[in-house]
Amino acid sequence: MTNMLRLIGGELKRLASYKLLARSLATGIVWVLVFLLISKEDARDVAPMLMFVDASIVLMLLVGASFYLEQQEHTIKSMMVLPVSVGQILLSKIISSLVLTLVTVAITCASVYFIHEISFKYVLLLLFLILAAVTHAALGFTLALFGKSFGSMLIMVIVYVVIFTMPSVLLAVNVIDAQYEWMAMISPSHAARSLFTSVVSGEYEWEKILFSCMYLSFLAMALMKFVVYPRFKSRAAKG
Amino acid sequence: MSHAFSVQNLSYRYPKAKRDTLREITFSVEEGEIFGFLGPSGVGKSTTQKVLIKLLEGYSGEIRYFGRNLQSMGKSYYEEVGVGFEMPIHFSRMTALENLKYFSGFYKNRINFQELMERVGLWEHKDVQVGNYSKGMKARLNFVRAMLNNPRVLFLDEPTAGIDPRNARTLKDIISEYRAQGGTVFLTTHLMSDVDELCDRVVFVVDGNLTDISTPRDLRIAYGKREVKVEYREDDALASAVFPLAGIGDNEEFHTLLRSKDIETIHSGETSMEDIFIKVTGAQLP
Repeated sequence: MTNMLRLIGGELKRLASYKLLARSLATGIVWVLVFLLISKEDARDVAPMLMFVDASIVLMLLVGASFYLEQQEHTIKSMMVLPVSVGQILLSKIISSLVLTLVTVAITCASVYFIHEISFKYVLLLLFLILAAVTHAALGFTLALFGKSFGSMLIMVIVYVVIFTMPSVLLAVNVIDAQYEWMAMISPSHAARSLFTSVVSGEYEWEKILFSCMYLSFLAMALMKFVVYPRFKSRAAKG
Repeated sequence: MSHAFSVQNLSYRYPKAKRDTLREITFSVEEGEIFGFLGPSGVGKSTTQKVLIKLLEGYSGEIRYFGRNLQSMGKSYYEEVGVGFEMPIHFSRMTALENLKYFSGFYKNRINFQELMERVGLWEHKDVQVGNYSKGMKARLNFVRAMLNNPRVLFLDEPTAGIDPRNARTLKDIISEYRAQGGTVFLTTHLMSDVDELCDRVVFVVDGNLTDISTPRDLRIAYGKREVKVEYREDDALASAVFPLAGIGDNEEFHTLLRSKDIETIHSGETSMEDIFIKVTGAQLP
């Protein structure tokens, strides 16, 4: 447990040294400005979208950037010869990325509360946030481990956004008819966004929530076990 | 004395590779010795080291670490071994002290690294970000990092590469002292002067296979010429003569030369480790 905390502390320190923590805070400040400029009604629509963006696309990029910066320094190899398991190393990276996401989501929550007096079930939000963030961290790792550089990973993220995120956004703005929503649930992005939308709007479609939770949990576990864990070990050996 | 490592018929093939990088290699490393694992680039030295430090799995053959099957050992293995990589492996935006404090915190058994940093000349630069260190300073820091847990076995990959002669001397002294205190070293290097000074036994890796294990001294004798070359002054010019080493004590011509001429040098026909490296591996040193 002590080593796990030490790993998380080290990761956070490392992310701070790359100024990734400062960038998360800067993003949060931009969201505050957005909420200052929009109405309470619009804030209810925008808030879940911003939370979703922070817990998915931004998180995937964060995981990728952190991974490639670490690869440049060869520190992964050094971590692999410490008396800690690969699972602990990966978990510490996911938790520390989650902390950064929590910071921006907390700023979003505080903004909509203090500016528009909108509150929601924060425990449920935290649960959904963890689920969405862990799944997208696993997706971020997967893309990073298949990519050869941060540039190639960036291209894969763009492809991911076009295939999986755009349909969800088009559904949100009614460009795609709502009858096709179940098809969109296969997208991790849409599953995550529907969770945030439900908790912010206070309209709970439990079938959809249950499906999203199970789907995201299964996807995160499958990616971590069959893709991220073996490929991370192999990449670490190469240095 | 026990085997620190006993390796039997070790083979390893990288995924997607068409042939094995290591082909049924067998060797043992004795406790308390400095074992030189030598060879040109790309022949399997690093692969062997990566297998021994458990970075690579999926090998065939058997590896025993102090009698225990290496595969059955968990993360506690890293409490006992120290690994000095050739490349820099520190967080470049953290200071040397922050790096060492961080890595040291993971071990149950820790050394007082201040003393070691002072010896390798890094203590006064402890608050400098590692990214601002020179190549030699990073290499010295790698060495300190490898020693943090006072390891039972130390893996070193080119430990003196890029280090100035004075600091290289210090590092070699520390390695010798470590051995004298019972530590075991698995050394991979291209620097044959390091091999000559440090190694108790060496083996060459040639295309995934091993040559016979020997001592540097025995290799120099085996690959050298059994002769003595004498250089002397004669009529203001440099002259030389070569005598067979066998029966040199009774060689009257040799003794007459020593008595009558102004001798400048006498050399036995031992060859250098560099020449042996080239002869055995067929490769040029970088």
